[in-house]
Amino acid sequence: MRRQLSIGSELIDEAVLIARRDASHGIGAALCFSGLVRGSEDSVQIGGIEYEAFSEMATHQFHRLFDELERRWPMIESVRLVHRVGWVPVGESSLWLEVLSPHRAESFAAGQWLIDEMKRVVPIWKRIQKG
Amino acid sequence: MIVNVQFWSFFKELAGCDRSSFNVSPGTTVGQLQDLIAARFPKLSGLRGSTLVAVGVDYQPAHHVLSENDLISIFPPVQGG
Repeated sequence: MRRQLSIGSELIDEAVLIARRDASHGIGAALCFSGLVRGSEDSVQIGGIEYEAFSEMATHQFHRLFDELERRWPMIESVRLVHRVGWVPVGESSLWLEVLSPHRAESFAAGQWLIDEMKRVVPIWKRIQKG
Repeated sequence: MIVNVQFWSFFKELAGCDRSSFNVSPGTTVGQLQDLIAARFPKLSGLRGSTLVAVGVDYQPAHHVLSENDLISIFPPVQGG
């Protein structure tokens, strides 16, 4: 399984990421997910979120998750994940994920599992900034 | 032996610093170090139940035995995405 991980402060440009997709002819499902910063948290309007990462550990934990994902869904051809750190204003993407597989079921399942596990073990934190 | 502790997220504010060193006996466990951290940084003591601990880049349980110069990270539940 190919894997690509980026943790950085740059804007997530989905068009560029999709243009760089590298899928074999066996791929029938390209699942893309964007996590956007909502305009409110707990009914309070916010201006954005400051993300902090323990980058070395986050990278290690993401690769552990990719290893487990590959074991659970061996048909998946590629996973690409981008997570922003630093200030992300409302409406912008803080997370982008792409999973490529021959059929949709494994892409949906693996993508859901990966994000759930990320929120459990990858050391990234949010600091809400009011608008 | 010396071990180093780093704090992340709002634990830095509660500790009043982002790093601290501890001189501990050989055989000291993660759990015993957490007792020392709570004594030095009382604002963190009430959060122990929700505190995550890593040694290097891996999570470790309370019974994990520390080694000289280990870097221990102490932080609240993660919130990526």
